[in-house]
Amino acid sequence: MDAQAFDALYRGSVGDVHAYALSLLGERSAAEDVTALAFERLYRARARLDRGRGTPRALLFAIARNAAIDELRRRRRQSPVELVEEAHDVDPTEAIEHVERRDRVRGALAKLSLRDREIVLLKFHGQLSNVELARALGISESNAGSRLHRALERLRSACLELDREEVA
Amino acid sequence: MRVVPFPSADERGPEEAWLAELEAALEGTSEGPAAEAWRELRSDVRSLPAPISTEFEQELHERIVRPREQRRRIPRVRLAGWGRWLDGHRPLVGALASCVAALLVVGFVVKPWDRGSVVAVPMGRPIGVRADSAPFAQAKAASSPATSASAVSGAAVPAPGESVASGREQQRAASITLAATSSEVQSVADGAARVAARLGGFVESSQVQVSRGGSSGAQLTLSVPSANLNAALGSLGQLASLRAESQSLQDITDAYDAARRRLADANAERQALLRALSAAVTQGQIDSLRERLSGAAQRISAAHDEVQGLSRRASNSQVEVTVTGTAHASAAGGSTLHRGLHDAGHVLAVTLTALLIGAAVLVPLALLGLVAAVAGGGIRRYRRERALDRL
Repeated sequence: MDAQAFDALYRGSVGDVHAYALSLLGERSAAEDVTALAFERLYRARARLDRGRGTPRALLFAIARNAAIDELRRRRRQSPVELVEEAHDVDPTEAIEHVERRDRVRGALAKLSLRDREIVLLKFHGQLSNVELARALGISESNAGSRLHRALERLRSACLELDREEVA
Repeated sequence: MRVVPFPSADERGPEEAWLAELEAALEGTSEGPAAEAWRELRSDVRSLPAPISTEFEQELHERIVRPREQRRRIPRVRLAGWGRWLDGHRPLVGALASCVAALLVVGFVVKPWDRGSVVAVPMGRPIGVRADSAPFAQAKAASSPATSASAVSGAAVPAPGESVASGREQQRAASITLAATSSEVQSVADGAARVAARLGGFVESSQVQVSRGGSSGAQLTLSVPSANLNAALGSLGQLASLRAESQSLQDITDAYDAARRRLADANAERQALLRALSAAVTQGQIDSLRERLSGAAQRISAAHDEVQGLSRRASNSQVEVTVTGTAHASAAGGSTLHRGLHDAGHVLAVTLTALLIGAAVLVPLALLGLVAAVAGGGIRRYRRERALDRL
């Protein structure tokens, strides 16, 4: 991968990698560390990118995932994990309906297990195909599909449950 | 309030179809409320985290991407391409560096070329004799003149250019083993005889056996002037591939002095008997003295022969030449081309030996490293997956 391609990948992925790490870790500084680490490691591994190890973006998210899980493990050793997602400023012009729906999705995501949450985040932030998802997770495509299926089912159930609670 | 319309269970088919439908919806290639719901969900999930800060993005860009771009703009020096290639092949470079290091270690510590047959032995230098052992051995030889010195036992033998101890009578001998092809044994033996003649010596004995398909060889005993011993060994070594060479030295000063004393005593006795004979008056005295003179003459002759023999032993050296015939021409290398090929083969063999030893060290280490890396990767993966379930 030459410098131009790496630059293009950086510009097209840095926001998504950061969002994925932030969603998983819930802390901006940790997310920034993971993002930087992922790009550094990808640059060092660029020689292996042309050897059928998947797209650079998939490899980037695989590296980010490993780094994020390592960060979670490190935190667990130091203190109990508390995944608190940092809130960000709400656009005042945004429709209240959208804000509520997003809060519901946030709550539903928080109810998921870490394993389910990370595959959903990897799928949506990474925008990876199922094949790329499988490569990033280091499992078979069918296994990745099954896990994604189950995770999205649980997310949907959690959203419906939260919706019912609000209606009630 | 609007309910997010996820696809219902009834609408879903098998898992694969469901996943295909999801893919199509996320890629924007399918339409409908279900597809729209998936896209909306993705949009919601993606909008949850705070956006990346511009400062961090810029800083990271400066740190990671910009240096690569700047490096690209720098005018390339001659080694830039190599440097980039090396940078991209670090494992290979590391492996090569390890090989070179192993070869150096093998070369300077193990020294495989110091074993086995000797090819590049300096002419006239006995095999296995350390240079620093010479003074000790010289002193030993001087204090014990009758001590037999042999190259194998590490005793003193004068090196090329060194002279024997002045005022002492020393007997030198040498043996040399040459390798030639079976067909060259005879010519090598003839060459050895010519060397002896050219240097003022001669062939004491010679035995040459040449057989087709069988073992061939020659055994010659040459006698050459001691002063020409080193030259003789040098010339003999040029006849065929040198396999082994040794020299020995024996101090015969005491024996030589004793023989000379016996000769002098016999001469003195004879002079005294002659004087007594001139003074004898009776026939009995004359007969007795003549008989004693005859005995003295015999002793003089024996002592003279002994002195001559010892003197010859000191002035001439025996060289035992052994020529072994081998089936393969490359092993002998009598001619320059053959010797060159033989030397090249030897260098190749030494190199391969060094590589083999290096590989014997590196391959198990590499395998261990590989196993450790695979096991480490597996353990890391397992811990990560387990962490996902525990956290």
